[in-house]
Amino acid sequence: MRKNSAFWLQCLLGLALVALVVLVFRTTQSNLELLGVQSGFDFLWKKAGFSISQHLIPYTEDSPIWAALAVAILNTLLLAVFCIFLASVLGLVVGIGRLSSNWLVSRLSLAYLELFRNIPVLLQIFFWYYVALRALPSLESSIFITDYLVLNNRGLYFPFIEFGNGFSISPPVMGRFAYEGGFYLMPEFLALWIGLSLYNGSYISEIVRSGFQSVARGQWEAGAALGLKPVTVLRRVAFPQALRAVLPPLTTVYMNMFKATSLAAAIAYPEIVSVFVGTVNNLAGRPVEVMAVTLAFYAGVSFLVAWLMGRWNKRITLRGQ
Amino acid sequence: MASDLKPSAARQGLSGWLRRNLFSSWWNTAVSLVLLGLLVTLAARLFQWLIIEAQWAGSGPSACADTTSLCWPFVRARWPQFLYGLYPSEEVWRVNLGLAAGALLGAALAVRRMPARRWIAAFLLLAYPPLAWWLFRGGTGGLTPVETSLWGGFFLTLVVTGSVFWVSLLAGVLLALGRQSRLALLRQACTVWIEFWRAVPVLVLLFVVIIMLPLFLPSNVEIDKLGRAMIAFAILMSTYLAEAVRGGLQSLPTGQYEAARALGLNWRQSRLHVVLPQALAVSLPQITSNFIGLFKETTVLLVIGLFDLLGEVQRAASDPQWLGTGTTAAGYIFVAVFFWTACFCLSRASSRLERRMTRYRAVAI
Repeated sequence: MRKNSAFWLQCLLGLALVALVVLVFRTTQSNLELLGVQSGFDFLWKKAGFSISQHLIPYTEDSPIWAALAVAILNTLLLAVFCIFLASVLGLVVGIGRLSSNWLVSRLSLAYLELFRNIPVLLQIFFWYYVALRALPSLESSIFITDYLVLNNRGLYFPFIEFGNGFSISPPVMGRFAYEGGFYLMPEFLALWIGLSLYNGSYISEIVRSGFQSVARGQWEAGAALGLKPVTVLRRVAFPQALRAVLPPLTTVYMNMFKATSLAAAIAYPEIVSVFVGTVNNLAGRPVEVMAVTLAFYAGVSFLVAWLMGRWNKRITLRGQ
Repeated sequence: MASDLKPSAARQGLSGWLRRNLFSSWWNTAVSLVLLGLLVTLAARLFQWLIIEAQWAGSGPSACADTTSLCWPFVRARWPQFLYGLYPSEEVWRVNLGLAAGALLGAALAVRRMPARRWIAAFLLLAYPPLAWWLFRGGTGGLTPVETSLWGGFFLTLVVTGSVFWVSLLAGVLLALGRQSRLALLRQACTVWIEFWRAVPVLVLLFVVIIMLPLFLPSNVEIDKLGRAMIAFAILMSTYLAEAVRGGLQSLPTGQYEAARALGLNWRQSRLHVVLPQALAVSLPQITSNFIGLFKETTVLLVIGLFDLLGEVQRAASDPQWLGTGTTAAGYIFVAVFFWTACFCLSRASSRLERRMTRYRAVAI
């Protein structure tokens, strides 16, 4: 009797779902026809006709739209990788700092956590972009951090390894209008990098702290009793065990940070949202396709990361637990 | 007698404290001194920037002749805009009344010995939101209509946070229960829905809903921009809350489910009286941290052309009369102080509530 009712309920549910999908599909179709919007992915092979200020692969206005998409995806991933690196370093340092016996270190770490966690990340990005980086000197009076690292209000210039005959390091050189040679990060990138890393670093520091605190006290003492140096105990005894507690929440923060790179659209750093959802959508007039590609990109990366981190997590969990 | 022995002077008083916590070894001493030096320099520089070099006097744009130093008159001059956006000033009493009523009800709920607390909660959850919306939006009952495109500032931030959270909590609980259902199809549908939206950034979903929703709906149905934005937020928020509630549901021992069934309670009764009260209590920290997250995330609205608190500051700072990094910075600091205070207090309150809950549970079990 119970089984039977469950079966019919599911049939009803399935029918309702199918009906909803069909209804939405039909309405969308007729709406698109009414608006005279074409459909299909053929627009990806048309000429893009717009330039992108930062491209890691060769790209010009004559390139097809799919090349613009590839440029935007690479820009997104570049930003995400930079942010994950800096936020992890910050989080690790501050998280361990919270546990320091030095009162000043642990208090300052706490202050960092509370300051950056409680302010919206978009506001932080705006602050770096519209206030802090605007205050940097202009091209003529650039700051030389070293001979190879140049900072001014057009961005951060640093040397780049060039592969030609063997490889050589090309430092940034003052050209006629700007620094040439080497590689440079635009202010939009810097603001996003600093803002997202500081914000998410605060979350990572909490994860690191609770990870280390989850390691039993006896483990530290046992390490010390074996005559290991405190740094060695931290690296060889505490860290591998803390990693088990840290990895699942860390995955969540990494994913959040990756998703938050979309905030780049607010200051026009050319990643997938500002290039594809913004520019291409306006030019090509294919809203459904543009949105589908964007959603597929984010969902694809998320599932890939979840799968990889899940495998890593499985490898480091204690057997028999 | 052992109790007569005093600790050595090195462990007592201020100097003892300093020695233990700051100067316990040459390495610690070096770190402390370097940090102290940095801290003093930074504090002095900040004090100079925020107070001494900043411009305080005057009221108009002329007060900030120097565009690079902080311009506090800007915040003072644009104060009403930061609070209400473009809401017509002669109707602002409606906003004040609605928000004050909400604050009063919330405060009454926080008093533990309040009589009829249950009824206040029911009113706040069921009657207050539609009443407040009617008051803000107007159009019926003798109130002049105020288009949502005029709403903005602090007011919009609160309206979006409150309404979205209200809808999402209900939807999130239903989704979490659906993910646990014995109906395989319902379970799968809820799982796919939750997992998919969890992967999508809020900004992308905002664009998707703003652009796509009109295409999905019949042409005679129209939802304004604010409504669409709130739908996007609610889709995401309900999946986050569903995950939070699922954590609570999973933490319940199966004995609770079995006991409810043994008592002869049906599905609805067992969820409402046995399962959900306990599960929600367990997931309360998660729920509040999601609430704080939503509160901070409303700032994203400015990207799609709705002006929350940060949006209004941004709009005011791009007024050619006020242009300059000094005005922008002053506006940002104002918003940052507001958000920081609110989020800090909320998370403190949440951890206090959590401690009380654990105590309560420890006694109950």
